[in-house]
Amino acid sequence: MRTKNQKIRDFVLSAISVIVLIALWCAVSTSKPDFFPTPMATIERLVKLFEKPIMKVSIWGHIFASLKRVLFAIGASIIIGVGLGLIMGWNKKVRAAIYPIIMTLRPIPPIAWIPLIILLFGVGEFPKVLLVFIGSVFPILLNTISAVSMVDDMYLKVGKVYKANTWQTLHHIVFPASMPTILAGIKIAISSGWMVVVAAEMLASKSGLGFLITRGRDSYDVALIMVAMILIGIVGAALSIVFSFIERRLCGWMSS
Amino acid sequence: MASKDIKVQVNHLTKKFGDLLVLDDISFNINKGEFVCIVGPTGCGKTTFLNLLTRLIEPTSGEILIDGKPADPHVHNISFVFQEPSAFPWLTAQQNIEYGLKIKKKSSEEIKSQVDKIIGLLGLEKFRNAYPHEMSVSMEQRVVIGRAFALNPDLLLMDEPYGQMDIKMRYYLEDEVIRLWKATGSTVLFITHNLEEAVYLAERVLILSNKPAKIKAEKKVDLPRPRSVSDDKFVEIRKDITDMIKWW
Ligand SMILES: Nc1ncnc2c1ncn2[C@@H]1O[C@H](COP(=O)(O)OP(=O)(O)OP(=O)(O)O)[C@@H](O)[C@H]1O
Ligand SMILES: [Mg+2]
Repeated sequence: MRTKNQKIRDFVLSAISVIVLIALWCAVSTSKPDFFPTPMATIERLVKLFEKPIMKVSIWGHIFASLKRVLFAIGASIIIGVGLGLIMGWNKKVRAAIYPIIMTLRPIPPIAWIPLIILLFGVGEFPKVLLVFIGSVFPILLNTISAVSMVDDMYLKVGKVYKANTWQTLHHIVFPASMPTILAGIKIAISSGWMVVVAAEMLASKSGLGFLITRGRDSYDVALIMVAMILIGIVGAALSIVFSFIERRLCGWMSS
Repeated sequence: MASKDIKVQVNHLTKKFGDLLVLDDISFNINKGEFVCIVGPTGCGKTTFLNLLTRLIEPTSGEILIDGKPADPHVHNISFVFQEPSAFPWLTAQQNIEYGLKIKKKSSEEIKSQVDKIIGLLGLEKFRNAYPHEMSVSMEQRVVIGRAFALNPDLLLMDEPYGQMDIKMRYYLEDEVIRLWKATGSTVLFITHNLEEAVYLAERVLILSNKPAKIKAEKKVDLPRPRSVSDDKFVEIRKDITDMIKWW
Protein backbone atom coordinates (compact mmCIF):
# COMPACT_ATOMS: atom_id res chain seq x y z
CA MET A 1 0.00 0.00 0.00
CA ARG A 2 1.31 3.42 -0.93
CA THR A 3 1.40 6.04 1.77
CA LYS A 4 -0.13 9.44 1.23
CA ASN A 5 3.30 11.01 0.82
CA GLN A 6 4.28 8.48 -1.81
CA LYS A 7 1.07 9.18 -3.69
CA ILE A 8 1.82 12.90 -3.73
CA ARG A 9 5.39 12.24 -4.81
CA ASP A 10 4.25 9.95 -7.63
CA PHE A 11 1.70 12.50 -8.78
CA VAL A 12 4.31 15.27 -8.85
CA LEU A 13 6.71 13.04 -10.78
CA SER A 14 4.17 12.16 -13.44
CA ALA A 15 3.05 15.80 -13.70
CA ILE A 16 6.67 16.81 -14.29
CA SER A 17 7.14 14.30 -17.07
CA VAL A 18 3.95 15.45 -18.79
CA ILE A 19 5.16 19.04 -18.59
CA VAL A 20 8.56 18.06 -20.00
CA LEU A 21 6.86 16.22 -22.86
CA ILE A 22 4.70 19.25 -23.70
CA ALA A 23 7.74 21.51 -23.51
CA LEU A 24 9.59 19.27 -25.98
CA TRP A 25 6.52 19.29 -28.20
CA CYS A 26 6.51 23.12 -28.11
CA ALA A 27 10.21 23.25 -28.92
CA VAL A 28 9.91 20.92 -31.89
CA SER A 29 6.68 22.34 -33.27
CA THR A 30 7.38 26.08 -33.13
CA SER A 31 10.05 25.73 -35.85
CA LYS A 32 7.64 24.17 -38.35
CA PRO A 33 4.08 24.85 -37.15
CA ASP A 34 2.57 24.00 -40.57
CA PHE A 35 3.86 20.45 -40.58
CA PHE A 36 3.66 19.83 -36.88
CA PRO A 37 1.04 21.77 -34.92
CA THR A 38 1.89 23.30 -31.55
CA PRO A 39 0.11 22.13 -28.38
CA MET A 40 -1.99 25.31 -28.48
CA ALA A 41 -3.05 24.69 -32.08
CA THR A 42 -3.93 21.12 -31.18
CA ILE A 43 -6.09 22.22 -28.26
CA GLU A 44 -7.80 24.78 -30.47
CA ARG A 45 -8.50 22.03 -32.98
CA LEU A 46 -9.98 19.91 -30.22
CA VAL A 47 -12.25 22.75 -29.07
CA LYS A 48 -13.36 23.26 -32.65
CA LEU A 49 -14.10 19.59 -32.92
CA PHE A 50 -16.53 19.88 -30.02
CA GLU A 51 -18.35 22.69 -31.82
CA LYS A 52 -18.27 21.40 -35.35
CA PRO A 53 -19.08 17.74 -36.08
CA ILE A 54 -17.26 15.79 -38.78
CA MET A 55 -19.49 13.78 -41.12
CA LYS A 56 -22.42 14.98 -38.98
CA VAL A 57 -20.99 13.06 -36.01
CA SER A 58 -19.84 14.85 -32.87
CA ILE A 59 -16.53 14.02 -31.24
CA TRP A 60 -18.39 12.01 -28.61
CA GLY A 61 -20.11 10.19 -31.43
CA HIS A 62 -16.74 9.22 -32.94
CA ILE A 63 -15.39 8.04 -29.62
CA PHE A 64 -18.59 6.14 -29.00
CA ALA A 65 -18.48 4.57 -32.49
CA SER A 66 -15.01 3.16 -31.81
CA LEU A 67 -15.93 2.03 -28.31
CA LYS A 68 -19.06 0.32 -29.52
CA ARG A 69 -17.13 -1.72 -32.08
CA VAL A 70 -14.56 -2.73 -29.50
CA LEU A 71 -17.13 -3.66 -26.87
CA PHE A 72 -19.15 -5.80 -29.28
CA ALA A 73 -16.02 -7.55 -30.46
CA ILE A 74 -14.67 -8.06 -26.93
CA GLY A 75 -18.07 -9.40 -25.86
CA ALA A 76 -17.95 -11.96 -28.65
CA SER A 77 -14.30 -12.75 -27.82
CA ILE A 78 -15.18 -13.37 -24.18
CA ILE A 79 -18.09 -15.65 -25.03
CA ILE A 80 -16.18 -17.64 -27.62
CA GLY A 81 -12.72 -17.42 -26.04
CA VAL A 82 -13.83 -18.41 -22.54
CA GLY A 83 -16.35 -20.99 -23.76
CA LEU A 84 -14.00 -22.69 -26.18
CA GLY A 85 -11.10 -22.25 -23.76
CA LEU A 86 -12.98 -24.05 -20.97
CA ILE A 87 -13.78 -26.94 -23.29
CA MET A 88 -10.24 -27.12 -24.71
CA GLY A 89 -8.60 -26.80 -21.32
CA TRP A 90 -10.85 -29.44 -19.83
CA ASN A 91 -10.93 -32.01 -22.61
CA LYS A 92 -7.52 -33.12 -23.85
CA LYS A 93 -8.97 -34.66 -27.01
CA VAL A 94 -10.71 -31.48 -28.08
CA ARG A 95 -7.53 -29.59 -27.32
CA ALA A 96 -5.42 -31.96 -29.41
CA ALA A 97 -7.88 -31.57 -32.29
CA ILE A 98 -8.11 -27.78 -32.31
CA TYR A 99 -4.85 -26.51 -30.84
CA PRO A 100 -2.75 -26.71 -34.04
CA ILE A 101 -5.33 -24.65 -35.94
CA ILE A 102 -5.32 -22.01 -33.24
CA MET A 103 -1.55 -21.85 -33.07
CA THR A 104 -1.46 -21.31 -36.84
CA LEU A 105 -4.19 -18.69 -36.94
CA ARG A 106 -2.86 -16.71 -34.01
CA PRO A 107 0.30 -15.29 -35.62
CA ILE A 108 -1.66 -13.85 -38.57
CA PRO A 109 -1.99 -10.16 -37.71
CA PRO A 110 -5.48 -8.66 -37.98
CA ILE A 111 -4.23 -6.33 -40.73
CA ALA A 112 -3.45 -9.33 -42.93
CA TRP A 113 -7.09 -10.35 -42.66
CA ILE A 114 -8.37 -7.03 -43.99
CA PRO A 115 -8.37 -7.75 -47.76
CA LEU A 116 -10.07 -11.10 -47.31
CA ILE A 117 -12.64 -9.72 -44.92
CA ILE A 118 -13.45 -6.78 -47.18
CA LEU A 119 -13.87 -9.15 -50.14
CA LEU A 120 -16.15 -11.38 -48.13
CA PHE A 121 -18.12 -8.89 -46.06
CA GLY A 122 -17.65 -5.47 -47.62
CA VAL A 123 -16.97 -2.40 -45.50
CA GLY A 124 -19.94 -2.24 -43.10
CA GLU A 125 -19.95 -2.56 -39.32
CA PHE A 126 -19.67 -6.34 -39.20
CA PRO A 127 -16.26 -6.66 -40.87
CA LYS A 128 -14.80 -4.07 -38.47
CA VAL A 129 -16.15 -5.86 -35.45
CA LEU A 130 -14.88 -9.11 -36.93
CA LEU A 131 -11.38 -7.67 -37.29
CA VAL A 132 -11.35 -6.49 -33.69
CA PHE A 133 -12.62 -9.91 -32.68
CA ILE A 134 -9.70 -11.55 -34.51
CA GLY A 135 -7.34 -9.20 -32.73
CA SER A 136 -8.77 -9.91 -29.30
CA VAL A 137 -9.99 -13.49 -29.11
CA PHE A 138 -6.61 -15.22 -28.95
CA PRO A 139 -5.30 -13.85 -25.66
CA ILE A 140 -8.61 -14.72 -24.00
CA LEU A 141 -8.72 -18.18 -25.52
CA LEU A 142 -5.10 -19.05 -24.76
CA ASN A 143 -5.24 -17.69 -21.21
CA THR A 144 -8.43 -19.65 -20.55
CA ILE A 145 -6.92 -22.87 -21.88
CA SER A 146 -3.81 -22.56 -19.77
CA ALA A 147 -5.74 -21.47 -16.67
CA VAL A 148 -8.11 -24.42 -16.92
CA SER A 149 -5.38 -26.96 -17.45
CA MET A 150 -3.51 -25.59 -14.44
CA VAL A 151 -6.35 -25.66 -11.91
CA ASP A 152 -4.95 -27.06 -8.68
CA ASP A 153 -5.64 -30.78 -8.48
CA MET A 154 -6.60 -30.33 -4.83
CA TYR A 155 -9.72 -28.35 -5.76
CA LEU A 156 -10.70 -30.95 -8.34
CA LYS A 157 -10.33 -33.67 -5.73
CA VAL A 158 -12.63 -31.76 -3.39
CA GLY A 159 -15.18 -31.63 -6.21
CA LYS A 160 -14.86 -35.37 -6.81
CA VAL A 161 -15.29 -36.23 -3.17
CA TYR A 162 -18.48 -34.17 -3.04
CA LYS A 163 -19.63 -35.84 -6.26
CA ALA A 164 -19.84 -32.69 -8.33
CA ASN A 165 -20.82 -33.58 -11.90
CA THR A 166 -18.87 -32.22 -14.85
CA TRP A 167 -21.03 -29.13 -15.20
CA GLN A 168 -20.84 -28.36 -11.47
CA THR A 169 -17.09 -28.89 -11.49
CA LEU A 170 -16.66 -26.47 -14.39
CA HIS A 171 -19.08 -23.94 -12.97
CA HIS A 172 -18.10 -24.02 -9.28
CA ILE A 173 -14.41 -24.93 -9.41
CA VAL A 174 -12.68 -24.67 -12.78
CA PHE A 175 -14.24 -21.37 -13.81
CA PRO A 176 -13.66 -19.41 -10.59
CA ALA A 177 -10.18 -20.91 -10.17
CA SER A 178 -9.32 -19.74 -13.70
CA MET A 179 -10.90 -16.32 -13.28
CA PRO A 180 -7.72 -14.31 -12.52
CA THR A 181 -5.91 -15.64 -15.58
CA ILE A 182 -8.98 -15.22 -17.78
CA LEU A 183 -9.32 -11.60 -16.67
CA ALA A 184 -5.64 -11.01 -17.43
CA GLY A 185 -6.34 -12.33 -20.93
CA ILE A 186 -9.34 -10.04 -21.32
CA LYS A 187 -7.19 -7.10 -20.29
CA ILE A 188 -4.67 -7.86 -23.03
CA ALA A 189 -7.57 -8.40 -25.45
CA ILE A 190 -9.04 -4.98 -24.71
CA SER A 191 -5.82 -3.16 -25.40
CA SER A 192 -5.09 -5.06 -28.58
CA GLY A 193 -8.74 -4.72 -29.66
CA TRP A 194 -8.50 -0.97 -29.20
CA MET A 195 -5.46 -0.85 -31.46
CA VAL A 196 -7.15 -2.96 -34.11
CA VAL A 197 -10.33 -0.89 -34.18
CA VAL A 198 -8.33 2.21 -35.05
CA ALA A 199 -6.57 0.36 -37.85
CA ALA A 200 -9.88 -0.98 -39.15
CA GLU A 201 -11.46 2.49 -39.10
CA MET A 202 -8.53 3.97 -40.99
CA LEU A 203 -9.27 1.70 -43.92
CA ALA A 204 -12.94 2.16 -44.52
CA SER A 205 -15.19 4.05 -42.20
CA LYS A 206 -17.26 7.17 -41.77
CA SER A 207 -16.98 7.32 -38.02
CA GLY A 208 -14.61 6.51 -35.21
CA LEU A 209 -11.27 7.85 -34.01
CA GLY A 210 -9.37 5.97 -36.72
CA PHE A 211 -11.56 7.67 -39.30
CA LEU A 212 -10.62 11.09 -37.85
CA ILE A 213 -6.98 10.28 -38.54
CA THR A 214 -7.60 9.46 -42.21
CA ARG A 215 -9.84 12.52 -42.48
CA GLY A 216 -6.98 14.62 -41.08
CA ARG A 217 -4.57 13.12 -43.58
CA ASP A 218 -6.92 13.61 -46.57
CA SER A 219 -7.68 17.23 -45.71
CA TYR A 220 -4.12 17.95 -44.60
CA ASP A 221 -5.38 18.79 -41.12
CA VAL A 222 -2.37 17.69 -39.06
CA ALA A 223 -3.87 19.11 -35.85
CA LEU A 224 -6.86 16.82 -36.31
CA ILE A 225 -4.51 13.85 -36.63
CA MET A 226 -2.84 14.90 -33.40
CA VAL A 227 -6.18 15.32 -31.63
CA ALA A 228 -7.36 11.90 -32.74
CA MET A 229 -4.11 10.24 -31.69
CA ILE A 230 -4.21 11.82 -28.26
CA LEU A 231 -7.84 10.82 -27.81
CA ILE A 232 -7.00 7.26 -28.83
CA GLY A 233 -4.33 7.22 -26.14
CA ILE A 234 -6.57 8.69 -23.46
CA VAL A 235 -9.57 6.47 -24.18
CA GLY A 236 -7.32 3.41 -24.35
CA ALA A 237 -5.81 4.24 -20.97
CA ALA A 238 -9.30 4.90 -19.55
CA LEU A 239 -10.46 1.50 -20.79
CA SER A 240 -7.68 -0.25 -19.02
CA ILE A 241 -8.26 1.69 -15.79
CA VAL A 242 -11.97 0.84 -15.86
CA PHE A 243 -11.16 -2.78 -16.48
CA SER A 244 -8.70 -2.90 -13.60
CA PHE A 245 -11.55 -1.80 -11.35
CA ILE A 246 -13.78 -4.56 -12.66
CA GLU A 247 -10.95 -7.02 -12.22
CA ARG A 248 -10.50 -6.04 -8.59
CA ARG A 249 -14.22 -6.33 -7.96
CA LEU A 250 -14.41 -9.80 -9.48
CA CYS A 251 -11.24 -11.13 -7.91
CA GLY A 252 -11.40 -9.53 -4.48
CA TRP A 253 -10.75 -12.97 -3.05
CA MET A 254 -7.19 -13.01 -4.37
CA SER A 255 -4.48 -12.26 -1.85
CA SER A 256 -2.91 -8.96 -2.73
CA MET B 1 -21.55 -56.94 17.05
CA ALA B 2 -24.46 -57.33 14.64
CA SER B 3 -23.49 -56.73 11.04
CA LYS B 4 -26.01 -53.92 10.64
CA ASP B 5 -23.90 -51.84 13.02
CA ILE B 6 -20.90 -52.07 10.74
CA LYS B 7 -20.43 -48.96 8.68
CA VAL B 8 -17.27 -49.69 6.76
CA GLN B 9 -15.95 -53.12 5.93
CA VAL B 10 -12.49 -53.40 4.41
CA ASN B 11 -11.72 -56.82 2.93
CA HIS B 12 -8.23 -57.86 1.82
CA LEU B 13 -7.48 -54.46 0.39
CA THR B 14 -4.30 -54.30 -1.69
CA LYS B 15 -2.91 -51.42 -3.69
CA LYS B 16 0.12 -51.33 -5.95
CA PHE B 17 1.44 -48.38 -7.89
CA GLY B 18 3.17 -50.26 -10.68
CA ASP B 19 5.57 -52.53 -8.82
CA LEU B 20 5.37 -50.53 -5.60
CA LEU B 21 3.22 -52.39 -3.08
CA VAL B 22 1.69 -49.77 -0.79
CA LEU B 23 -1.22 -51.49 0.96
CA ASP B 24 -0.83 -55.19 1.62
CA ASP B 25 -3.98 -57.20 2.29
CA ILE B 26 -5.69 -54.94 4.82
CA SER B 27 -8.91 -56.00 6.51
CA PHE B 28 -10.89 -54.30 9.28
CA ASN B 29 -14.30 -52.90 10.14
CA ILE B 30 -15.55 -49.57 11.41
CA ASN B 31 -18.81 -49.36 13.32
CA LYS B 32 -21.55 -46.86 12.81
CA GLY B 33 -20.88 -43.63 14.65
CA GLU B 34 -17.44 -44.74 15.71
CA PHE B 35 -14.41 -42.45 15.89
CA VAL B 36 -11.40 -44.38 14.61
CA CYS B 37 -7.87 -43.11 14.33
CA ILE B 38 -5.31 -44.63 12.02
CA VAL B 39 -1.69 -44.04 12.91
CA GLY B 40 1.25 -45.00 10.76
CA PRO B 41 4.69 -43.83 9.76
CA THR B 42 5.22 -41.20 7.08
CA GLY B 43 4.71 -42.50 3.57
CA CYS B 44 3.19 -45.82 4.63
CA GLY B 45 0.05 -45.44 2.57
CA LYS B 46 -2.45 -43.65 4.80
CA THR B 47 -3.53 -41.10 2.21
CA THR B 48 -3.64 -43.86 -0.40
CA PHE B 49 -6.09 -45.73 1.78
CA LEU B 50 -8.43 -42.75 2.05
CA ASN B 51 -8.19 -42.15 -1.68
CA LEU B 52 -9.35 -45.72 -2.17
CA LEU B 53 -12.29 -45.19 0.18
CA THR B 54 -13.48 -42.22 -1.84
CA ARG B 55 -12.68 -43.92 -5.13
CA LEU B 56 -10.28 -41.19 -6.17
CA ILE B 57 -8.17 -44.24 -7.08
CA GLU B 58 -9.09 -47.90 -7.66
CA PRO B 59 -7.76 -50.81 -5.56
CA THR B 60 -5.53 -53.48 -7.12
CA SER B 61 -7.55 -56.11 -5.30
CA GLY B 62 -9.88 -56.45 -2.36
CA GLU B 63 -12.96 -54.40 -1.62
CA ILE B 64 -14.32 -51.66 0.58
CA LEU B 65 -17.98 -51.91 1.57
CA ILE B 66 -19.95 -49.10 3.11
CA ASP B 67 -23.30 -50.16 4.55
CA GLY B 68 -22.70 -53.48 2.81
CA LYS B 69 -22.33 -51.96 -0.65
CA PRO B 70 -19.13 -51.18 -2.57
CA ALA B 71 -17.85 -47.74 -1.54
CA ASP B 72 -19.03 -45.16 -4.04
CA PRO B 73 -19.20 -41.42 -3.48
CA HIS B 74 -22.24 -41.36 -5.75
CA VAL B 75 -24.11 -43.61 -3.36
CA HIS B 76 -22.60 -42.83 0.01
CA ASN B 77 -22.38 -39.57 1.79
CA ILE B 78 -18.64 -39.21 2.29
CA SER B 79 -16.74 -36.09 3.30
CA PHE B 80 -13.02 -35.58 3.20
CA VAL B 81 -10.68 -33.19 4.94
CA PHE B 82 -7.44 -33.24 2.98
CA GLN B 83 -3.95 -33.08 4.39
CA GLU B 84 -3.27 -29.78 2.63
CA PRO B 85 -5.48 -26.71 3.11
CA SER B 86 -8.27 -27.06 0.58
CA ALA B 87 -10.74 -24.25 1.15
CA PHE B 88 -11.73 -22.64 -2.14
CA PRO B 89 -9.95 -19.28 -2.15
CA TRP B 90 -12.70 -17.63 -4.21
CA LEU B 91 -15.42 -18.43 -1.66
CA THR B 92 -16.01 -16.88 1.75
CA ALA B 93 -16.03 -19.02 4.87
CA GLN B 94 -19.79 -19.33 4.70
CA GLN B 95 -19.81 -20.13 0.97
CA ASN B 96 -17.13 -22.77 1.49
CA ILE B 97 -19.23 -24.43 4.17
CA GLU B 98 -22.27 -24.30 1.89
CA TYR B 99 -20.38 -25.86 -1.00
CA GLY B 100 -21.16 -29.56 -0.49
CA LEU B 101 -24.81 -28.82 0.32
CA LYS B 102 -25.18 -26.80 -2.86
CA ILE B 103 -23.64 -29.56 -4.95
CA LYS B 104 -26.16 -31.93 -3.41
CA LYS B 105 -28.90 -29.45 -4.37
CA LYS B 106 -30.34 -29.14 -0.89
CA SER B 107 -33.13 -26.63 -0.41
CA SER B 108 -32.05 -23.15 0.56
CA GLU B 109 -33.75 -23.34 3.98
CA GLU B 110 -31.95 -26.56 4.71
CA ILE B 111 -28.63 -25.08 3.59
CA LYS B 112 -29.17 -22.02 5.74
CA SER B 113 -30.08 -23.86 8.92
CA GLN B 114 -27.28 -26.38 8.51
CA VAL B 115 -24.67 -23.74 7.75
CA ASP B 116 -25.80 -21.57 10.65
CA LYS B 117 -25.55 -24.54 12.95
CA ILE B 118 -22.03 -25.41 11.79
CA ILE B 119 -20.87 -21.81 11.93
CA GLY B 120 -22.28 -21.62 15.46
CA LEU B 121 -20.55 -24.83 16.54
CA LEU B 122 -17.27 -23.58 15.11
CA GLY B 123 -17.70 -20.06 16.52
CA LEU B 124 -17.03 -18.61 13.08
CA GLU B 125 -19.75 -15.92 13.11
CA LYS B 126 -17.26 -13.10 12.82
CA PHE B 127 -15.54 -14.72 9.87
CA ARG B 128 -18.59 -15.65 7.83
CA ASN B 129 -17.66 -13.31 5.01
CA ALA B 130 -13.87 -13.60 5.19
CA TYR B 131 -11.94 -15.15 2.32
CA PRO B 132 -9.31 -17.84 2.99
CA HIS B 133 -6.44 -15.45 2.23
CA GLU B 134 -7.65 -13.32 5.13
CA MET B 135 -7.50 -16.29 7.52
CA SER B 136 -4.74 -18.15 9.31
CA VAL B 137 -4.01 -21.73 8.25
CA SER B 138 -5.83 -23.10 11.28
CA MET B 139 -8.85 -20.93 10.60
CA GLU B 140 -8.93 -22.13 7.02
CA GLN B 141 -8.71 -25.73 8.16
CA ARG B 142 -11.66 -25.15 10.50
CA VAL B 143 -13.67 -23.89 7.55
CA VAL B 144 -12.76 -27.04 5.63
CA ILE B 145 -13.82 -29.16 8.61
CA GLY B 146 -17.07 -27.22 8.75
CA ARG B 147 -17.58 -27.89 5.04
CA ALA B 148 -17.10 -31.60 5.71
CA PHE B 149 -19.44 -31.79 8.70
CA ALA B 150 -22.12 -29.62 7.09
CA LEU B 151 -23.11 -32.52 4.85
CA ASN B 152 -23.97 -34.71 7.81
CA PRO B 153 -21.72 -37.31 6.23
CA ASP B 154 -22.24 -41.01 6.82
CA LEU B 155 -18.50 -41.23 6.82
CA LEU B 156 -16.02 -38.44 7.45
CA LEU B 157 -12.40 -38.97 6.46
CA MET B 158 -9.77 -36.68 7.93
CA ASP B 159 -6.20 -36.90 6.66
CA GLU B 160 -3.83 -35.38 9.22
CA PRO B 161 -5.91 -32.22 9.28
CA TYR B 162 -3.88 -30.66 12.08
CA GLY B 163 -0.47 -31.68 10.77
CA GLN B 164 0.78 -28.14 10.33
CA MET B 165 -0.58 -26.61 13.51
CA ASP B 166 0.96 -25.75 16.82
CA ILE B 167 0.06 -27.63 20.00
CA LYS B 168 -2.32 -25.05 21.42
CA MET B 169 -4.36 -24.78 18.24
CA ARG B 170 -4.35 -28.55 17.95
CA TYR B 171 -5.88 -29.05 21.40
CA TYR B 172 -8.53 -26.55 20.59
CA LEU B 173 -9.38 -28.09 17.24
CA GLU B 174 -9.33 -31.62 18.63
CA ASP B 175 -12.04 -30.64 21.12
CA GLU B 176 -13.91 -28.98 18.33
CA VAL B 177 -13.90 -32.05 16.11
CA ILE B 178 -15.16 -34.13 19.04
CA ARG B 179 -17.94 -31.63 19.57
CA LEU B 180 -18.94 -31.78 15.89
CA TRP B 181 -18.75 -35.57 15.88
CA LYS B 182 -21.07 -35.76 18.91
CA ALA B 183 -23.47 -33.20 17.46
CA THR B 184 -23.75 -34.87 14.05
CA GLY B 185 -23.35 -38.56 14.88
CA SER B 186 -21.03 -39.08 11.92
CA THR B 187 -18.62 -41.97 11.61
CA VAL B 188 -15.14 -40.52 11.60
CA LEU B 189 -11.90 -41.97 10.30
CA PHE B 190 -9.06 -39.74 11.41
CA ILE B 191 -5.50 -40.16 10.22
CA THR B 192 -2.55 -38.85 12.14
CA HIS B 193 0.98 -39.74 13.03
CA ASN B 194 0.70 -38.04 16.38
CA LEU B 195 0.00 -40.77 18.94
CA GLU B 196 -1.20 -38.41 21.62
CA GLU B 197 -3.72 -36.97 19.20
CA ALA B 198 -4.92 -40.46 18.33
CA VAL B 199 -5.42 -41.44 21.95
CA TYR B 200 -7.11 -38.15 22.73
CA LEU B 201 -9.64 -38.50 19.94
CA ALA B 202 -10.27 -42.12 19.15
CA GLU B 203 -12.51 -44.82 20.47
CA ARG B 204 -10.22 -47.21 18.66
CA VAL B 205 -6.75 -46.79 17.18
CA LEU B 206 -5.53 -48.84 14.21
CA ILE B 207 -1.78 -49.02 13.89
CA LEU B 208 -0.25 -49.45 10.46
CA SER B 209 3.20 -50.83 9.73
CA ASN B 210 5.82 -49.37 7.45
CA LYS B 211 5.24 -49.64 3.72
CA PRO B 212 3.80 -51.95 2.49
CA ALA B 213 1.20 -51.13 5.11
CA LYS B 214 -0.53 -53.84 7.08
CA ILE B 215 -2.56 -53.44 10.23
CA LYS B 216 -0.02 -54.24 12.90
CA ALA B 217 -2.25 -53.81 15.92
CA GLU B 218 -5.44 -52.32 17.22
CA LYS B 219 -6.08 -50.58 20.52
CA LYS B 220 -9.37 -49.70 22.13
CA VAL B 221 -9.42 -46.41 24.00
CA ASP B 222 -12.31 -46.51 26.45
CA LEU B 223 -11.49 -43.38 28.42
CA PRO B 224 -14.26 -41.00 29.41
CA ARG B 225 -14.39 -37.56 27.80
CA PRO B 226 -13.15 -34.91 28.13
CA ARG B 227 -9.82 -36.70 28.27
CA SER B 228 -6.69 -35.39 29.84
CA VAL B 229 -3.31 -36.09 28.30
CA SER B 230 -1.69 -36.25 31.73
CA ASP B 231 -4.19 -38.72 33.13
CA ASP B 232 -2.50 -41.99 34.22
CA LYS B 233 -4.67 -44.19 32.08
CA PHE B 234 -4.17 -41.92 29.09
CA VAL B 235 -0.41 -42.08 29.49
CA GLU B 236 -0.55 -45.86 29.85
CA ILE B 237 -2.49 -46.33 26.63
CA ARG B 238 -0.20 -43.98 24.80
CA LYS B 239 2.82 -45.96 26.08
CA ASP B 240 1.21 -49.22 24.96
CA ILE B 241 0.80 -47.88 21.47
CA THR B 242 4.30 -46.45 21.49
CA ASP B 243 5.59 -49.93 22.34
CA MET B 244 3.61 -51.42 19.49
CA ILE B 245 5.29 -49.15 17.00
CA LYS B 246 8.87 -49.49 18.21
CA TRP B 247 9.64 -51.11 14.88
CA TRP B 248 8.84 -47.91 12.95
N1 LIG C 1 -0.21 -41.85 -7.52
C1 LIG C 1 0.88 -42.49 -7.06
N2 LIG C 1 1.73 -43.11 -7.90
C2 LIG C 1 2.84 -43.75 -7.44
N3 LIG C 1 3.16 -43.84 -6.14
C3 LIG C 1 2.36 -43.25 -5.25
C4 LIG C 1 1.18 -42.54 -5.66
N4 LIG C 1 0.58 -42.04 -4.55
C5 LIG C 1 1.34 -42.42 -3.52
N5 LIG C 1 2.40 -43.16 -3.93
C6 LIG C 1 3.41 -43.76 -3.06
O1 LIG C 1 2.75 -44.55 -2.12
C7 LIG C 1 3.36 -44.45 -0.85
C8 LIG C 1 2.32 -44.07 0.19
O2 LIG C 1 1.90 -42.72 -0.05
P1 LIG C 1 0.82 -42.02 0.85
O3 LIG C 1 0.70 -40.64 0.37
O4 LIG C 1 -0.40 -42.85 0.88
O5 LIG C 1 1.52 -42.05 2.28
P2 LIG C 1 1.04 -41.39 3.64
O6 LIG C 1 1.01 -42.48 4.63
O7 LIG C 1 -0.20 -40.61 3.43
O8 LIG C 1 2.26 -40.44 3.95
P3 LIG C 1 2.28 -39.06 4.79
O9 LIG C 1 2.44 -39.45 6.22
O10 LIG C 1 3.50 -38.37 4.26
O11 LIG C 1 1.03 -38.34 4.49
C9 LIG C 1 4.48 -43.46 -0.98
O12 LIG C 1 5.69 -44.18 -1.12
C10 LIG C 1 4.19 -42.73 -2.26
O13 LIG C 1 5.38 -42.37 -2.90
MG1 LIG D 1 -0.65 -38.61 3.57
